[in-house]
Amino acid sequence: MLRAALPLLGLLLAGAGAVEEPTQDPGLPGEPPPGLELFRWQWHEVEAPYLVALWILVASLAKIVFHLSRKVTSLVPESCLLILLGLVLGGIVLAVAKKAEYQLEPGTFFLFLLPPIVLDSGYFMPSRLFFDNLGAILTYAVVGTLWNAFTTGAALWGLQQAGLVAPKVQAGLLDFLLFGSLISAVDPVAVLAVFEEVHVNETLFIIVFGESLLNDAVTVVLYKVCNSFVEMGSANVRATDYLKGVASLFVVSLGGAAVGLVFAFLLALTTRFTKRVRIIEPLLVFLLAYAAYLTAEMASLSAILAVTMCGLGCKKYVEANISHKSRTAVKYTMKTLASCAETIIFMLLGISAVDSSKWAWDSGLVLGTLFFILFFRALGVVLQTWVLNQFRLVRLDKIDQVVMSYGGLRGAVAFALVILLDRMKVPAKDYFVATTIVVVFFTVIVQGLTIKPLVKWLKVKRSEHHKPTLNQELHEHTFDHILAAVEDVVGHHGYHYWRDRWEQFDKKYLSQLLMRRSAYRIRDQIWDVYYRLNIRDAISFVDQGGHVLSSTGLTLPSMPSRNSVAETSVTNLLRESGSGACLDLQVIDTVRSGRDREDAVMHHLLCGGLYKPRRRYKASCSRHFISEDAQERQDKEVFQQNMKRRLESFKSTKHNICFTKSKPRLRKTGHRKKDGVANAEAANGKPQDLGFQDTAAVILTVESEEEEESDSSETEKEDDEGIIFVARATSEVLQEGKVSGNLEVCPSPRIIPPSPTCAEKELPWKSGQGDLAVYVSSETTKIVPVEMQTGWNQSMSSLESLASPPCTQAPTLTHLPPCPLGTEEPQAPLNLPSDPHPSFAFPPSLAKAGRSRSESSADIPQQQELQPLMGHKDNTRLSPGIANSHWCIQFNRGGWL
Amino acid sequence: MGNKQTVFTPEQLEAYQDNPFRQRIAQVFSEDGDGHMTLDNFLDMFSVMSETAPRDLKAYYAFKIYDFNDDDYICAWDLEQTLTKLTRGELSAEEVSLVCEKVLDEADGDHDGRLSLEDFQNMILRAPDFLSTFHIRI
Repeated sequence: MLRAALPLLGLLLAGAGAVEEPTQDPGLPGEPPPGLELFRWQWHEVEAPYLVALWILVASLAKIVFHLSRKVTSLVPESCLLILLGLVLGGIVLAVAKKAEYQLEPGTFFLFLLPPIVLDSGYFMPSRLFFDNLGAILTYAVVGTLWNAFTTGAALWGLQQAGLVAPKVQAGLLDFLLFGSLISAVDPVAVLAVFEEVHVNETLFIIVFGESLLNDAVTVVLYKVCNSFVEMGSANVRATDYLKGVASLFVVSLGGAAVGLVFAFLLALTTRFTKRVRIIEPLLVFLLAYAAYLTAEMASLSAILAVTMCGLGCKKYVEANISHKSRTAVKYTMKTLASCAETIIFMLLGISAVDSSKWAWDSGLVLGTLFFILFFRALGVVLQTWVLNQFRLVRLDKIDQVVMSYGGLRGAVAFALVILLDRMKVPAKDYFVATTIVVVFFTVIVQGLTIKPLVKWLKVKRSEHHKPTLNQELHEHTFDHILAAVEDVVGHHGYHYWRDRWEQFDKKYLSQLLMRRSAYRIRDQIWDVYYRLNIRDAISFVDQGGHVLSSTGLTLPSMPSRNSVAETSVTNLLRESGSGACLDLQVIDTVRSGRDREDAVMHHLLCGGLYKPRRRYKASCSRHFISEDAQERQDKEVFQQNMKRRLESFKSTKHNICFTKSKPRLRKTGHRKKDGVANAEAANGKPQDLGFQDTAAVILTVESEEEEESDSSETEKEDDEGIIFVARATSEVLQEGKVSGNLEVCPSPRIIPPSPTCAEKELPWKSGQGDLAVYVSSETTKIVPVEMQTGWNQSMSSLESLASPPCTQAPTLTHLPPCPLGTEEPQAPLNLPSDPHPSFAFPPSLAKAGRSRSESSADIPQQQELQPLMGHKDNTRLSPGIANSHWCIQFNRGGWL
Repeated sequence: MGNKQTVFTPEQLEAYQDNPFRQRIAQVFSEDGDGHMTLDNFLDMFSVMSETAPRDLKAYYAFKIYDFNDDDYICAWDLEQTLTKLTRGELSAEEVSLVCEKVLDEADGDHDGRLSLEDFQNMILRAPDFLSTFHIRI
C-alpha cells in the first residue's frame, strides 16, 4: 500500500515535475514478484500521454478561469493571459524541478500544434473576401515580408557596424539577414488570437490575416535559404545560389498550394462516396488535411499554405457532401482543436521564456530589433498601400494602415524557428533567442493589449454582424453577373470576367464531379440561404414557442393581425405568428382546464417542433453508423414544419394588405352561419384535419360544399385546402416515418399508440373521436359569432391571398387599424384558462357529424398518397386549388432536402 | 476598351448567353430599349459604372436592371425573372416564387408587395458593400 502511495505523490506533482520518478523506478524491477498484485501502479507506461492530457487540462482550466471575469477578458486578450500563466507555471516548474521542462519544442509545434490552427483558419476563411482581396494579400505577404526581412536584417547589421550592439554578438550580415527573415513574418496564431477579439471590419481582418497565412511560404524560403547560406559560409555562396533562392520561392509557395489543392480535390471526391458511412466524414476531413500538411512538410514546401489551400478549396464541396451532423462535428472539432492548440502554444511560450539558460541578453540588439520591426513594418505598409491604392476600388485609408502596421504581431512561428537554429553554425543564437522572445512578448502583450483601445480610439470601421438576408445573397449574385456582363459587353476581360468564367467552369465540371448528385441538385446558393433562414426561424420558433405558450397562454391562430403594420422585420413576424403557425392550436382552445390545455399545447408544439426523441436514442446505439435516413428525415421534417409556418406567416403578412378583399366574405360567412349543419360540417372538417390529419374528411367537405352552396364553395375550398396542407405535411411525414415514427410525431386517431400517456388517455382529442373538433367549430360559429366572423374572414382572405399573386393587391393601409381591435377581442374568452365553457354541450347532431367524419376517414391512406400527385398535375391551374398544389410541391421539395 | 464594336444586336448578344445579364444590360442602357446601344449609350454606361459616379445614380441603374417590365417597381415578376436567370432554371417555379416572396418581405418597406426605388435604395444602403463594388475599371 505504501508503495502504491509513493507514486501517487509523484502523480500529484506530475504537473510540476515528474522528475522524481526515475529515482524510484529502478527499485521496482529489482524486487521479487510479490505474487498476484491487487493494485499496480504503472506511471511510466502512461506518463507521456498523461502529461499531455494534464497540460491540455491545465490550459483549459486556465481558460475557464480567465473567462469567469468578463471584465478581464474584455480588456486583456486571452493570449496575453496565457503567456503570463505560462511564465508563472514555468517559474513553478523551474523552482520545483530545478531545470526547465516542458518547453515549446519546434517539432511538436510544427507537427502537432500548428496544423489545427491553420486548418481551422483556412477552412473557415471567407473565401469570397479572400479572393477579392487576393492581390493586396499577396503583395503584403510576399513583398512585405521580403521587405521586412531584408530591411530589418540590414538595419541590425548596420547597428552592429555602428557599434551599438555588444561585440559579444558574433554575427555577420548573413546571420542578421537570417534573423531578420525569421523575425519579420507576421504570425497567424498571434494575429488570429488578437484580431478575433478586436472585431475590425472584414476587409482589414482578411488582409492582415491572409498576409500572415500566406507569408509562411516566404518565411520558409527565406529562412532556409539564409540558413543554408550561413551554413555554407558567405564566401562559398555563388550567384547561382541566389537565383536558386529566388526560384525556390516559387517552388515552395506554388508547390505548397498545389499540394493543398490536390488534397482538397481528393477530400472532396472522397466525401462524395461516404453516403453509407456518415460517421467517418469528419475524420476524413481532418485526416486528409493533415496528410496535406505532412506531405508539404515532407517535400519541404510551405505546409501552412498547403493546409490553407486545402481547407479553402475543399470547403464548398465537402460541406455540400457531408451530412448536417457531420458538418457540425467538423466545425466543433476543428474549433476545439484549434483553440486547444492555440492555448497550449501561448502557455508553452510563456514557460519557455523562463529558461534562462538559452538566453543571452543584449540591450542594443533587443531594442534595435523592436524599433526596426515596428518602423519597417509601418514604412512597408505605407509604401505598399500607396501602390495598391492606385489599383484598388475600395481604398485602404490611413486608419487601416495604422491598424495593419500595428497588427503585425510576431508569435510562436518565429520562436520555433529561432530555436531550430544550430548553435554551431550561428554563434549568436542565444542572443537571437532572447531577442525573439522579447519581440514576441512585446507584440503579443503590449500590442495585443493596446490594439483594442487603439481601434476604438481611431474609430476603425468595425465588422457588423447582421444576419444574412436573402436580399443580400440575391443582389450579390446579381451584381456579380451584371458586372461580368458589363465587362463582357465592353470586351474587357477583368476580374469579374474571370470570376464569372471560373464559376461556370465550377458549375459545369467541378461541382458535377465532386458533389454527390443529390447535393448538387439542391446546392443552389440562393435556395440554400432560404433554406437556412427557414431552419433558423424554425429553431427560434421552437425556442420561443414553448415559452410564449406556457407563460401567456394561447394566441388564437385566426388572429394573425397582431403582427401588423408596425412589424417590418420578418423574424418579428415569424415570432409573432409563431404560435399562430400551428393551426391545430385551435383544437386545443376548447380544452376544459388550463392545465390540460397547456399540456396539450406543449404536446402539439413538441409534436410539431421537435423530432421524435425515441428514435434518436435507438439510432445512437450503433457506433459505426448514424442511421443517415434518420438524420435526413429530421432535416426534412424541420423543413416541412418550417414551410407550414412560413405559409402562416405569409398569410399573416398578407393579411393586412388584402383586408378589403375579405369584405365580400362577410356576407358569405353570414350565410354560412345561417346554414346550420352543413356549415358546421365544413368547419368541422377543418379543425379535425388539423388535429388528426384526416385528409379524406376535408375532401368530403369540399365536395359537399360544392353541392350545397355554389357561391361560397370557392371560399370553403380554399379554406379547407389551405389547411389541408397542414394535414398533408404531417401525413407525408407519417408516410415517410413508416411505422414507429408516426406514433410519436402526431397522434393519429386511427392508430392507437402502444402505450398511451396519461394525457393521451385523458385528453379527449386523442381518443380518436372528432368531438373536440366539433366543439371548436360550433364555438367559432355560434358562441362568439361576431368576433369570429372577423376571424373567419381573416383566415379566409388570407388563404385566398395565397392563391392570388401579391402584386395585384392594392395597398390598403387605412384599413389596418380595425384589424387588431377586432381580433384581440375574441381572444379573451378563449384565453380564459380553466373555465369549462358552457358551450361544450353541443347539438348531438353536430357531434355525430364530426364522428362520422372521422370514422369515414378509414379509407384515407390511398387518398393521402394520391394527393401529392394530384398536386403536381394541378400545378398550372389557377383555381383555388393552387394553394394546395403549391404547398404539395413544396413538401416534395422538402423531401429531397 | 478592347472591343471596337459599339452597336450590339440581340443576335450578337445571344451568342454570349453564358452570362444571363448581358442582354439586360444592353437593354437598360440603350436608348430604344431593345438592346441597340449607340456610342452615347455606351459612354453613358461607363459613366454610370465609373468610380466617380454618385451612389444614387448607381442605385438607380441597378434598380433599372432589376425592373424587367419597366414599371418603376420591382415586383414579384421582376424578381422571378432575375432569379430564373441567376439560377439558370435550377429551381422550380414554386421555389422561385417562394424565394421571391421572402425577398419582397425582407425589403418591402411600405408593404405594397413590390419594391419601389426607395425600398431598393434602403436595402442596398444597409449593406454598403454593394455599391462600393459596383464599378468597372478599364
